[in-house]
Amino acid sequence: MKITDEVRISDNGFVFNSKTGDSFNVNPTGLELTKLIAQGHDFDTIKSLFLEKYELDDLTFEKDFYEFCALIKYHQITTTEDPLDFK
Amino acid sequence: MSKLKLTIAVTGLNNTDNPGPGVPVIRSLKASPEFDLRIIGLVYETLEPGIYMEGLCDKIFQIPYPSTGSDELIDRVEEIHRREPIDVLIPNFDAELFSFMKNEDRLLRSGIHTFLPTLKQFQERDKDKLPEYGEKYGIKVPASLNLGSQNQISEIKEKFEYPVMVKGKFYDAYMAYNQEQVKQAFNKISSKWGLPVIIQEFVKGTEVNVIALGDGQGNTIAAVPMRKQYITDKGKAWGGITLSDDKMLEITRSLIRKTMWKGGMELELIKTVKGEYYLIEINPRIPAWVYLAVGAGQNIPEALVKLALGQEVAPMETYAFGKMFVRYSYDIIVDLEKFETIAMNGEI
Repeated sequence: MKITDEVRISDNGFVFNSKTGDSFNVNPTGLELTKLIAQGHDFDTIKSLFLEKYELDDLTFEKDFYEFCALIKYHQITTTEDPLDFK
Repeated sequence: MSKLKLTIAVTGLNNTDNPGPGVPVIRSLKASPEFDLRIIGLVYETLEPGIYMEGLCDKIFQIPYPSTGSDELIDRVEEIHRREPIDVLIPNFDAELFSFMKNEDRLLRSGIHTFLPTLKQFQERDKDKLPEYGEKYGIKVPASLNLGSQNQISEIKEKFEYPVMVKGKFYDAYMAYNQEQVKQAFNKISSKWGLPVIIQEFVKGTEVNVIALGDGQGNTIAAVPMRKQYITDKGKAWGGITLSDDKMLEITRSLIRKTMWKGGMELELIKTVKGEYYLIEINPRIPAWVYLAVGAGQNIPEALVKLALGQEVAPMETYAFGKMFVRYSYDIIVDLEKFETIAMNGEI
Protein backbone atom coordinates (compact mmCIF):
# COMPACT_ATOMS: atom_id res chain seq x y z
CA MET A 1 0.00 0.00 0.00
CA LYS A 2 1.30 3.39 -0.99
CA ILE A 3 0.11 6.95 -0.52
CA THR A 4 -0.47 8.32 -4.00
CA ASP A 5 1.93 10.97 -5.25
CA GLU A 6 -0.81 13.58 -5.56
CA VAL A 7 -1.66 13.47 -1.86
CA ARG A 8 -0.35 16.17 0.45
CA ILE A 9 -0.49 15.66 4.20
CA SER A 10 -0.23 18.66 6.51
CA ASP A 11 0.96 18.43 10.10
CA ASN A 12 -2.42 19.64 11.34
CA GLY A 13 -4.20 16.61 9.85
CA PHE A 14 -5.42 18.22 6.61
CA VAL A 15 -5.09 15.72 3.78
CA PHE A 16 -5.49 16.97 0.20
CA ASN A 17 -5.66 14.87 -2.93
CA SER A 18 -4.75 17.12 -5.84
CA LYS A 19 -5.86 14.57 -8.42
CA THR A 20 -9.46 14.41 -7.22
CA GLY A 21 -9.69 17.77 -5.45
CA ASP A 22 -10.91 16.03 -2.29
CA SER A 23 -9.74 17.10 1.13
CA PHE A 24 -10.14 15.44 4.52
CA ASN A 25 -9.42 16.07 8.14
CA VAL A 26 -7.84 13.22 10.05
CA ASN A 27 -7.49 13.08 13.83
CA PRO A 28 -4.03 12.82 15.44
CA THR A 29 -4.10 9.01 15.39
CA GLY A 30 -5.18 9.01 11.75
CA LEU A 31 -2.44 11.48 10.96
CA GLU A 32 0.15 9.33 12.67
CA LEU A 33 -1.01 6.26 10.74
CA THR A 34 -1.11 8.13 7.43
CA LYS A 35 2.40 9.46 7.95
CA LEU A 36 3.76 6.01 8.84
CA ILE A 37 2.17 4.58 5.70
CA ALA A 38 3.57 7.47 3.68
CA GLN A 39 7.04 6.76 5.07
CA GLY A 40 6.73 3.27 3.63
CA HIS A 41 6.47 1.29 6.89
CA ASP A 42 4.81 -2.09 6.59
CA PHE A 43 1.91 -3.38 8.66
CA ASP A 44 4.09 -5.25 11.19
CA THR A 45 6.28 -2.22 11.88
CA ILE A 46 3.30 0.09 12.30
CA LYS A 47 1.64 -2.45 14.58
CA SER A 48 4.63 -2.81 16.84
CA LEU A 49 5.07 0.98 17.01
CA PHE A 50 1.45 1.42 18.02
CA LEU A 51 1.41 -1.44 20.52
CA GLU A 52 4.50 -0.02 22.13
CA LYS A 53 3.14 3.49 22.32
CA TYR A 54 -0.52 2.91 23.21
CA GLU A 55 -2.46 0.61 25.52
CA LEU A 56 -3.83 -1.53 22.78
CA ASP A 57 -4.28 -5.19 21.96
CA ASP A 58 -3.37 -6.88 18.70
CA LEU A 59 -6.89 -7.52 17.56
CA THR A 60 -8.22 -4.01 18.13
CA PHE A 61 -5.25 -2.54 16.30
CA GLU A 62 -5.71 -4.86 13.33
CA LYS A 63 -9.45 -4.19 13.11
CA ASP A 64 -9.01 -0.41 13.32
CA PHE A 65 -6.03 -0.39 10.99
CA TYR A 66 -7.83 -2.33 8.25
CA GLU A 67 -10.89 -0.16 8.62
CA PHE A 68 -8.77 2.97 8.29
CA CYS A 69 -6.91 1.55 5.29
CA ALA A 70 -10.17 0.65 3.56
CA LEU A 71 -11.41 4.17 4.14
CA ILE A 72 -8.35 5.95 2.76
CA LYS A 73 -8.21 3.54 -0.16
CA TYR A 74 -11.85 4.31 -0.95
CA HIS A 75 -10.97 7.99 -1.04
CA GLN A 76 -8.03 7.30 -3.38
CA ILE A 77 -5.46 8.41 -0.81
CA THR A 78 -3.66 5.11 -1.25
CA THR A 79 -3.14 2.62 -4.02
CA THR A 80 -2.50 -1.09 -3.73
CA GLU A 81 -1.54 -3.40 -6.52
CA ASP A 82 -3.35 -6.28 -4.84
CA PRO A 83 -6.85 -5.18 -3.71
CA LEU A 84 -6.69 -7.52 -0.71
CA ASP A 85 -3.30 -6.29 0.38
CA PHE A 86 -3.38 -3.78 3.20
CA LYS A 87 0.19 -4.37 4.19
CA MET B 1 9.26 47.30 -21.54
CA SER B 2 6.53 49.50 -22.94
CA LYS B 3 3.03 48.19 -22.67
CA LEU B 4 0.97 47.35 -25.73
CA LYS B 5 -1.92 49.81 -26.05
CA LEU B 6 -5.09 47.96 -26.94
CA THR B 7 -8.82 48.49 -27.06
CA ILE B 8 -10.64 45.26 -26.35
CA ALA B 9 -14.38 44.70 -26.64
CA VAL B 10 -15.92 42.03 -24.44
CA THR B 11 -19.46 40.61 -24.18
CA GLY B 12 -20.99 38.58 -21.35
CA LEU B 13 -21.02 41.12 -18.52
CA ASN B 14 -23.97 39.35 -16.90
CA ASN B 15 -22.31 38.36 -13.66
CA THR B 16 -25.44 36.73 -12.26
CA ASP B 17 -25.92 33.30 -10.64
CA ASN B 18 -25.46 31.96 -14.18
CA PRO B 19 -22.51 34.18 -14.97
CA GLY B 20 -21.22 35.12 -18.36
CA PRO B 21 -17.41 35.07 -18.66
CA GLY B 22 -17.08 38.77 -19.55
CA VAL B 23 -16.19 40.16 -16.14
CA PRO B 24 -13.53 37.52 -15.33
CA VAL B 25 -12.13 37.84 -18.87
CA ILE B 26 -11.69 41.60 -18.34
CA ARG B 27 -10.20 40.98 -14.91
CA SER B 28 -7.73 38.53 -16.45
CA LEU B 29 -6.74 40.98 -19.17
CA LYS B 30 -6.20 43.69 -16.60
CA ALA B 31 -3.93 41.33 -14.69
CA SER B 32 -1.58 41.23 -17.68
CA PRO B 33 1.55 43.33 -17.19
CA GLU B 34 1.97 43.59 -20.97
CA PHE B 35 -1.18 45.50 -21.90
CA ASP B 36 -2.33 49.07 -21.50
CA LEU B 37 -6.05 48.55 -21.99
CA ARG B 38 -9.17 50.38 -22.93
CA ILE B 39 -12.12 48.07 -22.32
CA ILE B 40 -15.36 48.32 -24.24
CA GLY B 41 -18.22 46.38 -22.63
CA LEU B 42 -20.85 45.12 -25.05
CA VAL B 43 -24.15 44.30 -23.34
CA TYR B 44 -27.54 42.97 -24.36
CA GLU B 45 -29.45 43.89 -21.21
CA THR B 46 -29.47 47.10 -19.20
CA LEU B 47 -29.10 45.25 -15.91
CA GLU B 48 -25.98 43.27 -16.69
CA PRO B 49 -23.95 43.83 -13.50
CA GLY B 50 -20.70 44.48 -15.38
CA ILE B 51 -22.16 47.81 -16.55
CA TYR B 52 -22.24 49.09 -12.99
CA MET B 53 -18.93 47.71 -11.69
CA GLU B 54 -16.62 50.67 -11.07
CA GLY B 55 -13.34 50.59 -12.97
CA LEU B 56 -14.25 47.58 -15.09
CA CYS B 57 -15.11 49.10 -18.47
CA ASP B 58 -14.13 52.43 -19.99
CA LYS B 59 -17.20 52.50 -22.17
CA ILE B 60 -20.35 50.41 -22.45
CA PHE B 61 -22.50 49.91 -25.53
CA GLN B 62 -25.73 48.02 -25.88
CA ILE B 63 -25.90 45.62 -28.82
CA PRO B 64 -28.88 43.81 -30.37
CA TYR B 65 -29.47 40.11 -29.63
CA PRO B 66 -28.14 37.81 -32.38
CA SER B 67 -31.71 36.51 -32.77
CA THR B 68 -32.62 39.84 -34.40
CA GLY B 69 -30.17 38.92 -37.18
CA SER B 70 -26.41 38.63 -37.58
CA ASP B 71 -26.27 41.71 -39.80
CA GLU B 72 -27.87 43.95 -37.19
CA LEU B 73 -25.40 42.74 -34.61
CA ILE B 74 -22.33 43.17 -36.81
CA ASP B 75 -23.56 46.54 -38.15
CA ARG B 76 -23.85 47.76 -34.56
CA VAL B 77 -20.37 46.47 -33.67
CA GLU B 78 -18.96 48.26 -36.72
CA GLU B 79 -20.78 51.43 -35.76
CA ILE B 80 -19.21 51.21 -32.30
CA HIS B 81 -15.84 50.49 -33.93
CA ARG B 82 -16.03 53.72 -35.93
CA ARG B 83 -16.35 55.65 -32.68
CA GLU B 84 -14.11 53.52 -30.47
CA PRO B 85 -11.66 51.58 -32.67
CA ILE B 86 -11.60 48.00 -31.39
CA ASP B 87 -8.40 45.97 -31.73
CA VAL B 88 -9.73 42.67 -30.41
CA LEU B 89 -13.26 41.43 -29.80
CA ILE B 90 -13.86 38.59 -27.32
CA PRO B 91 -17.41 37.22 -27.56
CA ASN B 92 -18.43 35.14 -24.57
CA PHE B 93 -21.93 33.78 -25.28
CA ASP B 94 -22.59 30.51 -27.05
CA ALA B 95 -25.64 32.00 -28.75
CA GLU B 96 -23.69 34.89 -30.34
CA LEU B 97 -20.63 32.91 -31.41
CA PHE B 98 -22.15 31.76 -34.68
CA SER B 99 -22.75 35.36 -35.82
CA PHE B 100 -19.23 36.45 -34.95
CA MET B 101 -17.61 33.38 -36.54
CA LYS B 102 -19.62 33.84 -39.72
CA ASN B 103 -18.49 37.45 -39.91
CA GLU B 104 -14.90 36.92 -38.83
CA ASP B 105 -13.49 38.13 -42.16
CA ARG B 106 -15.79 41.11 -42.33
CA LEU B 107 -14.75 42.13 -38.82
CA LEU B 108 -11.09 41.68 -39.67
CA ARG B 109 -11.44 43.85 -42.76
CA SER B 110 -12.72 46.56 -40.44
CA GLY B 111 -9.67 46.02 -38.24
CA ILE B 112 -11.37 43.98 -35.49
CA HIS B 113 -9.42 40.85 -34.58
CA THR B 114 -11.05 37.78 -33.08
CA PHE B 115 -9.73 34.34 -32.20
CA LEU B 116 -12.65 31.97 -32.55
CA PRO B 117 -13.13 28.33 -33.52
CA THR B 118 -13.96 27.71 -37.16
CA LEU B 119 -17.60 27.10 -38.06
CA LYS B 120 -16.78 23.42 -38.65
CA GLN B 121 -15.15 23.10 -35.21
CA PHE B 122 -18.10 24.90 -33.66
CA GLN B 123 -20.80 22.89 -35.35
CA GLU B 124 -19.36 19.40 -35.10
CA ARG B 125 -19.16 19.64 -31.30
CA ASP B 126 -22.87 20.45 -31.01
CA LYS B 127 -24.47 18.47 -28.21
CA ASP B 128 -26.79 16.68 -30.63
CA LYS B 129 -23.76 15.41 -32.58
CA LEU B 130 -21.70 14.26 -29.61
CA PRO B 131 -21.74 10.49 -30.41
CA GLU B 132 -20.30 11.12 -33.90
CA TYR B 133 -17.78 13.53 -32.38
CA GLY B 134 -16.66 10.96 -29.82
CA GLU B 135 -16.20 8.33 -32.47
CA LYS B 136 -14.34 10.62 -34.86
CA TYR B 137 -11.86 11.88 -32.27
CA GLY B 138 -11.56 8.73 -30.15
CA ILE B 139 -13.06 9.98 -26.94
CA LYS B 140 -15.67 8.31 -24.76
CA VAL B 141 -19.05 10.05 -24.74
CA PRO B 142 -22.38 9.04 -23.17
CA ALA B 143 -24.97 7.49 -25.49
CA SER B 144 -27.58 10.01 -26.59
CA LEU B 145 -30.83 10.39 -28.48
CA ASN B 146 -32.11 13.56 -30.15
CA LEU B 147 -35.78 14.24 -29.61
CA GLY B 148 -37.50 16.19 -32.36
CA SER B 149 -40.92 15.78 -30.80
CA GLN B 150 -42.65 14.59 -27.63
CA ASN B 151 -43.77 11.43 -29.41
CA GLN B 152 -40.21 10.13 -29.31
CA ILE B 153 -40.10 10.16 -25.50
CA SER B 154 -41.44 6.59 -25.42
CA GLU B 155 -38.28 5.48 -27.31
CA ILE B 156 -36.15 6.36 -24.29
CA LYS B 157 -37.01 3.29 -22.25
CA GLU B 158 -35.93 1.02 -25.11
CA LYS B 159 -32.49 2.60 -25.30
CA PHE B 160 -31.63 3.87 -21.82
CA GLU B 161 -32.02 3.08 -18.17
CA TYR B 162 -33.41 5.85 -16.01
CA PRO B 163 -32.25 8.32 -14.81
CA VAL B 164 -31.30 10.16 -18.00
CA MET B 165 -30.07 13.69 -18.62
CA VAL B 166 -32.37 15.95 -20.65
CA LYS B 167 -30.43 18.76 -22.31
CA GLY B 168 -31.05 21.78 -24.48
CA LYS B 169 -29.06 22.42 -27.64
CA PHE B 170 -27.38 25.48 -26.09
CA TYR B 171 -28.14 25.54 -22.37
CA ASP B 172 -30.05 23.80 -19.60
CA ALA B 173 -29.85 20.27 -18.31
CA TYR B 174 -32.20 18.32 -16.08
CA MET B 175 -31.98 14.85 -14.64
CA ALA B 176 -35.15 12.83 -15.21
CA TYR B 177 -36.07 9.63 -13.39
CA ASN B 178 -39.12 8.72 -15.46
CA GLN B 179 -41.05 9.50 -18.62
CA GLU B 180 -43.17 12.14 -16.88
CA GLN B 181 -40.11 14.08 -15.77
CA VAL B 182 -38.66 13.85 -19.29
CA LYS B 183 -41.89 15.40 -20.63
CA GLN B 184 -41.68 18.28 -18.17
CA ALA B 185 -38.03 18.92 -18.99
CA PHE B 186 -38.71 18.56 -22.72
CA ASN B 187 -41.39 21.27 -22.58
CA LYS B 188 -39.24 23.62 -20.51
CA ILE B 189 -36.19 23.22 -22.73
CA SER B 190 -37.89 23.19 -26.13
CA SER B 191 -39.89 26.34 -25.37
CA LYS B 192 -36.67 28.15 -24.42
CA TRP B 193 -34.01 26.72 -26.68
CA GLY B 194 -35.90 24.97 -29.44
CA LEU B 195 -35.33 21.51 -30.83
CA PRO B 196 -33.81 19.01 -30.71
CA VAL B 197 -33.90 18.21 -27.03
CA ILE B 198 -31.11 15.80 -26.23
CA ILE B 199 -31.47 12.71 -24.06
CA GLN B 200 -28.12 11.65 -22.68
CA GLU B 201 -27.20 8.51 -20.79
CA PHE B 202 -26.52 9.36 -17.16
CA VAL B 203 -22.90 8.54 -16.40
CA LYS B 204 -22.28 8.21 -12.68
CA GLY B 205 -19.17 9.93 -11.47
CA THR B 206 -17.61 13.26 -10.63
CA GLU B 207 -17.90 16.18 -12.99
CA VAL B 208 -14.53 17.67 -13.84
CA ASN B 209 -13.68 20.42 -16.30
CA VAL B 210 -10.72 21.67 -18.29
CA ILE B 211 -10.27 25.21 -19.54
CA ALA B 212 -8.00 25.29 -22.56
CA LEU B 213 -6.76 27.37 -25.44
CA GLY B 214 -5.83 25.99 -28.85
CA ASP B 215 -3.77 27.95 -31.37
CA GLY B 216 -5.56 26.54 -34.42
CA GLN B 217 -2.40 24.66 -35.47
CA GLY B 218 -2.98 21.71 -33.15
CA ASN B 219 -1.02 23.11 -30.21
CA THR B 220 -2.43 23.45 -26.72
CA ILE B 221 -1.36 26.87 -25.50
CA ALA B 222 -2.99 26.53 -22.09
CA ALA B 223 -4.93 23.88 -20.15
CA VAL B 224 -6.01 23.81 -16.51
CA PRO B 225 -8.21 21.05 -15.03
CA MET B 226 -10.70 21.92 -12.30
CA ARG B 227 -13.32 20.27 -10.15
CA LYS B 228 -16.39 22.15 -9.01
CA GLN B 229 -16.56 22.11 -5.23
CA TYR B 230 -19.71 24.09 -4.75
CA ILE B 231 -22.44 23.93 -7.38
CA THR B 232 -25.49 26.19 -7.67
CA ASP B 233 -28.97 24.91 -8.45
CA LYS B 234 -28.26 25.91 -12.06
CA GLY B 235 -25.28 23.57 -12.06
CA LYS B 236 -22.78 26.43 -12.11
CA ALA B 237 -19.55 26.39 -10.15
CA TRP B 238 -19.63 28.66 -7.12
CA GLY B 239 -16.34 27.25 -5.93
CA GLY B 240 -13.71 25.08 -7.56
CA ILE B 241 -10.18 23.76 -7.26
CA THR B 242 -7.44 23.08 -9.79
CA LEU B 243 -6.39 19.45 -10.14
CA SER B 244 -3.19 17.70 -11.07
CA ASP B 245 -4.64 15.15 -13.43
CA ASP B 246 -2.40 14.11 -16.29
CA LYS B 247 -5.13 12.08 -17.95
CA MET B 248 -7.38 15.13 -18.26
CA LEU B 249 -4.53 17.11 -19.81
CA GLU B 250 -3.77 14.26 -22.18
CA ILE B 251 -7.42 14.11 -23.32
CA THR B 252 -7.43 17.88 -23.86
CA ARG B 253 -4.15 17.96 -25.79
CA SER B 254 -5.19 15.04 -27.94
CA LEU B 255 -8.53 16.66 -28.78
CA ILE B 256 -6.95 20.02 -29.61
CA ARG B 257 -4.33 18.29 -31.76
CA LYS B 258 -6.88 16.22 -33.66
CA THR B 259 -9.44 19.00 -34.13
CA MET B 260 -6.86 21.79 -34.63
CA TRP B 261 -9.01 23.73 -32.19
CA LYS B 262 -8.74 27.50 -32.43
CA GLY B 263 -9.69 29.65 -29.45
CA GLY B 264 -10.81 29.13 -25.90
CA MET B 265 -12.76 26.09 -24.82
CA GLU B 266 -14.09 24.26 -21.81
CA LEU B 267 -14.30 20.49 -21.71
CA GLU B 268 -16.92 19.06 -19.39
CA LEU B 269 -16.05 15.53 -18.39
CA ILE B 270 -17.40 12.89 -16.03
CA LYS B 271 -14.79 10.83 -14.23
CA THR B 272 -16.21 7.47 -13.20
CA VAL B 273 -15.12 5.48 -10.15
CA LYS B 274 -13.14 3.26 -12.51
CA GLY B 275 -11.14 6.32 -13.57
CA GLU B 276 -12.69 6.52 -17.05
CA TYR B 277 -13.47 9.92 -18.57
CA TYR B 278 -16.60 10.67 -20.56
CA LEU B 279 -16.89 13.89 -22.52
CA ILE B 280 -20.34 15.35 -21.93
CA GLU B 281 -19.94 18.75 -23.50
CA ILE B 282 -17.53 21.18 -25.13
CA ASN B 283 -18.17 24.87 -24.58
CA PRO B 284 -16.55 26.66 -27.53
CA ARG B 285 -15.46 29.69 -25.53
CA ILE B 286 -13.73 30.77 -22.36
CA PRO B 287 -15.78 29.67 -19.31
CA ALA B 288 -16.76 31.97 -16.42
CA TRP B 289 -14.20 30.38 -14.07
CA VAL B 290 -11.30 31.57 -16.24
CA TYR B 291 -9.82 33.69 -13.47
CA LEU B 292 -8.97 30.51 -11.55
CA ALA B 293 -6.63 29.57 -14.41
CA VAL B 294 -5.02 33.01 -14.16
CA GLY B 295 -4.61 32.50 -10.40
CA ALA B 296 -3.03 29.13 -11.11
CA GLY B 297 -0.52 30.68 -13.51
CA GLN B 298 -2.07 30.58 -16.99
CA ASN B 299 -3.54 33.85 -18.27
CA ILE B 300 -5.69 32.48 -21.05
CA PRO B 301 -7.39 35.75 -22.13
CA GLU B 302 -3.98 37.44 -22.41
CA ALA B 303 -2.72 34.60 -24.62
CA LEU B 304 -5.91 34.67 -26.68
CA VAL B 305 -5.50 38.39 -27.39
CA LYS B 306 -1.90 37.85 -28.50
CA LEU B 307 -2.95 35.01 -30.80
CA ALA B 308 -5.75 37.17 -32.21
CA LEU B 309 -3.13 39.80 -33.06
CA GLY B 310 -1.01 37.20 -34.81
CA GLN B 311 1.69 37.06 -32.17
CA GLU B 312 3.49 33.83 -31.29
CA VAL B 313 2.57 32.41 -27.92
CA ALA B 314 4.57 29.65 -26.29
CA PRO B 315 2.53 26.84 -24.68
CA MET B 316 2.07 27.23 -20.94
CA GLU B 317 3.06 23.91 -19.45
CA THR B 318 2.73 24.44 -15.73
CA TYR B 319 0.11 25.68 -13.29
CA ALA B 320 -0.44 25.49 -9.56
CA PHE B 321 -2.77 22.72 -8.47
CA GLY B 322 -4.84 23.00 -5.31
CA LYS B 323 -5.70 26.64 -6.17
CA MET B 324 -9.29 27.43 -5.34
CA PHE B 325 -11.84 30.02 -6.27
CA VAL B 326 -14.89 30.93 -4.27
CA ARG B 327 -17.47 33.18 -5.88
CA TYR B 328 -19.49 35.72 -3.94
CA SER B 329 -22.41 38.03 -4.51
CA TYR B 330 -22.17 41.74 -3.85
CA ASP B 331 -24.73 44.52 -4.02
CA ILE B 332 -23.73 47.58 -6.03
CA ILE B 333 -25.67 50.74 -5.30
CA VAL B 334 -26.56 52.43 -8.57
CA ASP B 335 -27.86 55.92 -9.20
CA LEU B 336 -30.92 56.01 -11.38
CA GLU B 337 -29.18 58.36 -13.83
CA LYS B 338 -26.71 55.68 -14.77
CA PHE B 339 -29.45 53.16 -15.46
CA GLU B 340 -31.41 55.82 -17.32
CA THR B 341 -28.42 56.65 -19.54
CA ILE B 342 -27.82 53.08 -20.64
CA ALA B 343 -31.55 52.40 -21.02
CA MET B 344 -32.22 55.50 -23.11
CA ASN B 345 -28.95 56.03 -25.03
CA GLY B 346 -27.76 52.44 -25.35
CA GLU B 347 -24.33 53.49 -24.14
CA ILE B 348 -22.59 54.93 -21.15
